[in-house]
Amino acid sequence: MRTKFSGILTLLLALVVQLTFAQQKTITGTVTDETGLPLPGANVIIKGTNTGTQSDFDGNYSISASVGQTLTFSYVGFDTKEVKVGAQNNINMTLQPGESLNEVVVTGYSTRNQTVQTSAVVSISASELALMAPTTSIDNMLQGKAAGVQVTAANGKPGQGAFVRIRGTGSLVAGASSPLYIVDGAPIREEDLSNIPNEDIENITILKDAATTARYGSRGANGVVVITTKNGNRNKDAVIRFSSRYGTSSYIDPNYTMMNASEKMQYEAELYALGVTGAAGTPGVTTQPGSIERQRLLDNEVDWEDILLKDGIIQNNSVAISGGAEKVDYYFSVSNDRNTGIIDNIDGFERLGTRLNVNFDAKEWLKVGVNVGYSRSMSDEPRDRNNTQNPFRGMLDYNAYETEFLLNDDGTVQVDENGNPIYNPTHTGFPVRGALLSEPSEDIENQTIGSVDALVTFSKNWSYGFNVAVNWGATRRESYSKPGGILDIILNGSPTGNKFDDQQHRLDFTVSNRLMYNLNKNNHNLNILGLYEYNMNEFNRAFVRSKGFPSALLTTQSNASELNDGFTNRSRLTLVSYGAFADYDYKERYLLSASVRRDGSSNFGTDVRYGTFYSGSAGWNVAKEDFFSVDAVNDLKIRAAYGTVGNRLGISRYASQGVVGFDSYPGGSSTIPTRVANPELQWETTETYNLGLELNMFNNRLRMVSDYFIRNTTDLLFGIPTAYESGVGSIAGNLGEIQNKGLEISLQADVFRSNDFTWTLGGNIIFLDTEVVSLPDGEDVTPDTAFNIRFAEGRKINEHFLIRYAGVDPATGRALFYGADGNTYFAGDLPTDEFDNRVFQGKSTIADKEGGFFSNIVYKGFGLRTDFVFKTGNWINNFVRSDRESDGINITDNQATNAFNYWQQPGDTGVLPSPIYASEDNTVMGNSDRWLEKGDYVRMRNITLSYTFPNKTLENTPISTLRIYAQGQNLLTFSKFWGDPEVGISSGETISYANSVAPGEATLYSYPNTKSFQVGLDVSF
Amino acid sequence: MKKIIYKITFLALIVGAFTSCDSELDQVPFDEFGTENAYVTAADFENAIRGVYASLTFGNFYGGSDAGGMLDAPDILSDNVTFAQKGRGTRRTLHNWQYGASDEPMGGLYEVGYRLIYRANLLLAASENFEGENKVNIVAEAKALRALAHFDIVTFFGKIPTQSGDANGSLGIAYMTDPEPLAEPARETVGAVYDKLVADLTDAAANINASNGEGRMGKDAVNILLSRVYLYMGQWQNAINAANQVSTPIASRSDVVGVWEDSNKNGVAFYIPVNPPVLGNTIGVTWSQGGNTNLIPEYVVSYELYTLFADDDIRKEAYTFQATNNNDNLAFNAIKKLYKRPGGAPGLVDIKIFRAAEAALNKAEAYYNLGQEGQARTELDRVRTKRYLTPPSGETGTALRDAIRRERRLEFAFEYQRFFDLKRWGLPVERESFGDLADGTGTPSDQLALPASSNKFQLPIPQNALDLNPNLVQNPGY
Repeated sequence: MRTKFSGILTLLLALVVQLTFAQQKTITGTVTDETGLPLPGANVIIKGTNTGTQSDFDGNYSISASVGQTLTFSYVGFDTKEVKVGAQNNINMTLQPGESLNEVVVTGYSTRNQTVQTSAVVSISASELALMAPTTSIDNMLQGKAAGVQVTAANGKPGQGAFVRIRGTGSLVAGASSPLYIVDGAPIREEDLSNIPNEDIENITILKDAATTARYGSRGANGVVVITTKNGNRNKDAVIRFSSRYGTSSYIDPNYTMMNASEKMQYEAELYALGVTGAAGTPGVTTQPGSIERQRLLDNEVDWEDILLKDGIIQNNSVAISGGAEKVDYYFSVSNDRNTGIIDNIDGFERLGTRLNVNFDAKEWLKVGVNVGYSRSMSDEPRDRNNTQNPFRGMLDYNAYETEFLLNDDGTVQVDENGNPIYNPTHTGFPVRGALLSEPSEDIENQTIGSVDALVTFSKNWSYGFNVAVNWGATRRESYSKPGGILDIILNGSPTGNKFDDQQHRLDFTVSNRLMYNLNKNNHNLNILGLYEYNMNEFNRAFVRSKGFPSALLTTQSNASELNDGFTNRSRLTLVSYGAFADYDYKERYLLSASVRRDGSSNFGTDVRYGTFYSGSAGWNVAKEDFFSVDAVNDLKIRAAYGTVGNRLGISRYASQGVVGFDSYPGGSSTIPTRVANPELQWETTETYNLGLELNMFNNRLRMVSDYFIRNTTDLLFGIPTAYESGVGSIAGNLGEIQNKGLEISLQADVFRSNDFTWTLGGNIIFLDTEVVSLPDGEDVTPDTAFNIRFAEGRKINEHFLIRYAGVDPATGRALFYGADGNTYFAGDLPTDEFDNRVFQGKSTIADKEGGFFSNIVYKGFGLRTDFVFKTGNWINNFVRSDRESDGINITDNQATNAFNYWQQPGDTGVLPSPIYASEDNTVMGNSDRWLEKGDYVRMRNITLSYTFPNKTLENTPISTLRIYAQGQNLLTFSKFWGDPEVGISSGETISYANSVAPGEATLYSYPNTKSFQVGLDVSF
Repeated sequence: MKKIIYKITFLALIVGAFTSCDSELDQVPFDEFGTENAYVTAADFENAIRGVYASLTFGNFYGGSDAGGMLDAPDILSDNVTFAQKGRGTRRTLHNWQYGASDEPMGGLYEVGYRLIYRANLLLAASENFEGENKVNIVAEAKALRALAHFDIVTFFGKIPTQSGDANGSLGIAYMTDPEPLAEPARETVGAVYDKLVADLTDAAANINASNGEGRMGKDAVNILLSRVYLYMGQWQNAINAANQVSTPIASRSDVVGVWEDSNKNGVAFYIPVNPPVLGNTIGVTWSQGGNTNLIPEYVVSYELYTLFADDDIRKEAYTFQATNNNDNLAFNAIKKLYKRPGGAPGLVDIKIFRAAEAALNKAEAYYNLGQEGQARTELDRVRTKRYLTPPSGETGTALRDAIRRERRLEFAFEYQRFFDLKRWGLPVERESFGDLADGTGTPSDQLALPASSNKFQLPIPQNALDLNPNLVQNPGY
């Protein structure tokens, strides 16, 4: 690489000396609507080029252009206007409501006007982002905002991101179905999105079909999310913008009730009377109603939710300064976000972010720019596991008659030799409240995303761009079991202490060269881009675990007495790419695009590591035809696209190579065969068909986009399991085919539109079908990192595979199950092996309809915006419910009040099974669909009431704009699901975010989503 | 001028495009080594054989696991332990014999057992092109380990030859002798598997070094295993002959407690030292967590077994201990074998796999079956004199047989044999209805009896294994 750098630099130098260029100057001005109100985010583009800018919050813009070029001004819902650059340096533009969707679409390598776009693309601007429910991670914000983009919050932990799926699930392995995220040219992992402050984002463009995703070749198969950060405006004094938000968050009250102390003890006694031996030691059995002991328990009743949880604090402050001079623009920001979360005793998430973006016209023909953002986030990590080390499980397991601390007979709190209260280990043996203090775990992430670029304009037609983008993330996790702490005493008996430090560094480095040719002649517009790119991603890790800490205050490894484990890891993945992309339009009427990209990736077999991906697309804007004379229709665009895109994720970085690793064994090294070679290992390829319709009517008061798509994914990457007897585990390979197809509709209408009052309604939905088309030898495949999911030909992706529960036999109270033959049986009588009775029922973890809708009312300065998200057709295995209506299996743990509703006498229907048989039937029950529930919900994600002060009021103040608002999040939910229906991760330590094949398969006590109420203000000077 | 620009432009493209970065695509792992480079030198083969041994430390094998492994399952399935209500409920399905194929009881052992076998076979295949002086010994070790893994699998999933008349012809397991990643073998008969076990172990016994140091098998360990295999086959004289090759003396009474506290290794023929950071398996977690006064036992010594230990039997002190959970005022007869070293971390002790006392007890049983009661008593007393202050003696006939069986139960309590012994003797599992507390009160285990004829004596082949290998057949009754 080094030689190439110097080559390029020499070339640039040579150009500096030799070239002369067209006369350029900077134009500034303000874009307003017909009433004189500024239009923020209006697009200003030099016609026929990729060069453009957007107006700022006050409608101001600046752009450098040559005399004779034409500036195009556009804004959603307004007519586009054009002005030729002449002698003037200032062009103020008033746009009239009317015309079309003229947003600029950023594809990362280039930009294209929405009018001439032939791909299914959704663009979300900064001004729209500002209206959305504020969250720390932008992927969460995308839910319900773009048709075809399915977003499932991983969980409710502050700073946690989401599972984003664009147009279905494109892969059968974990971590391979997420879109590619690009921030200013640098790829970023989905889980790192929370390191980007929202305020810095200018635009999020979601590329959905191959017409644009094929330009990302081997990485674009699951869609691409291109994020661009903000820039300043030329010839404009610094605008200082300050935003502040403050509020509280809290646990969303569940739609079920847990037993209180007296109910639980009654339940225990009832079950013991039935013969449930596990109840023998419970106070409902060991104490008599009315006894002193029973009364003491009742007197000391507690509410574990109150003890373990708190109201969280959400806080955000940010300052941004942006502006520019004739040849330079800049954007500077600092922000701080804090979200304590709702677990008492720990701190939650805090992020500090800062950014500087500068663009500079070094020569008339040379622009250079740098974007650098740094963020540091710290997050307290509660145990996300399926036992009482997790407070959200503890909250439900602990009984109301179990106190926080051990009590003396006189009711006072027991104290240890140091006078500290002694936590009650409860029946579970583990007091999580104390452990939250004694077993802290914290993640500290430092992430720097930077890019530098140079743009050389050779002539009116030719230009060359050079870009280096770097994304460097350093994560440190420190997990400490303090000496003398809860877990320490359980594991070590006496104060010992143990701690691990896990440092992970990720470097992603992209060098790209772009050669661009633009032709703009006689209504023919042609842009061609040639790409040559190199991407390198390196991972480094250092891990140390020691024990024996002299004091809980000492936390570094240097204080430990005994080293338990220490290692480093390193791996690297590279990609070399060549591409050529072309876009053409004639009078914005006939539109054509094509792309070809050839990628070589280091993780595939040597002979098959190059893949070629291509796309072709065409569009026709019928409304621009002379013969088309329906006045009500402003735009009627039909577009079609076809292409192939690849995926290389979901397998290890050296998956094609046969290797051994080494470990320790008494006496020396030990050779551990880790992988069998597969030199045939190659791309997973997705072939996409897309047919789209864009319709704008009634002066753009009605806007509709609809797309029908088919995605066929072949050569699926998969760790193909071998027979146990072979002893090798699985071998990375390509298997089978899956299909995602669907229809997306997105609709917006200005129901009222006048100077003072507008009311906009909008919404979007995807109707999605998924299917596993073929698997090797037609055999079913069971993924490793899921509970009861199985892949089978002809079935949906991620279908649950369970025994069917047939309710309770009214005569005996015993649970019935359907055999594979359709008859009902008791668990022990099921035909052949009981698990041969598991069946598919077309119930997948993937929603088949999902989207969002909103209403936005603006009256004078007042705004009332509400956003709803919805999901339907997905099925969730509700393990939490199975623990709370456990028929006595978990009798020592607290139960939901509905557990009382068990069969009591012959004839009882609509009841839970009698606890008598629970132990015997447990295995079948646990693998049945008794707790498989519809995950349907509609949730009011956001409601915001805002007031923007009129210019008149602010005239005599230094303030130029001022907006105040109050915002509520997740205040309303409509769902029949038992518990919270937003389920992503089941239990992070059972199946981690990165290992999730089927997000939302099951509930298992992961951090729940929260509701919040916040107030805020945005002010600029 | 323009021409120059174009030329330079195209040059830029060409330079960019064809000064290829192709070499950057040739990435090799930093953390791993190409398989073809890993079996070349004598040192490579030493590393490789240690890699085979290392598979024994998988949780489901001898490494200690909540999910059931060699260290605990043969006792959990038997009458030696009682389910402790205080525990976390681990392996309850196993203990209650309520498993089906999809519960995959000991499925982990089935999987990692074959992983060991693959490692051994990879070494054996590579050794064909290797002529180092350590070759003979390492090949012998690999074969012995391969046999051990097959033996542990087949005793769970197949019948034992002496168990019933039809055993030798019944379903055994696939005996793998080549490293074949794509193999989908069928099950062989029990008889065929035992013949291959004998072949591998005989070969190993003839070629292995007398000792290979700690953590590795030597001649005595191989012969103890071979003797056990013959005993399970009912080949009494062969069992005696193999046991006669064992020279390690039985630990004396005064050393017995120290063996389980890791203060001596007397009488231990094969063990794996556990010392972090080399190995950190906290194997004691199979039986309990916590210390003497805050113990959370998963299983406790069954009261029936506890009272079977005579007061002058040193093993009562060596194998069990009195523990309490002061929070709940509970007292237990806890299992000490994997508990901890005095003053050490809970659960951290060496993994003992073969002991010399077995040679004597195998012989006692074999001689008895040959009708040589005098010899049988001699061998039995060889153990008993080193365990009791006043050892019982002088039994004849059935009483002698029962004494041999009882002594085997006591000597190898919590030492991976009881379920197989009952199984091969064709006996049922019968648990008495004592509770889980130190005085026999408390809650008994859920299920108390498994008839000798029950199919549950042969665990079901894991459902996943069946799904992945179309040539496998499930055991009857599942």
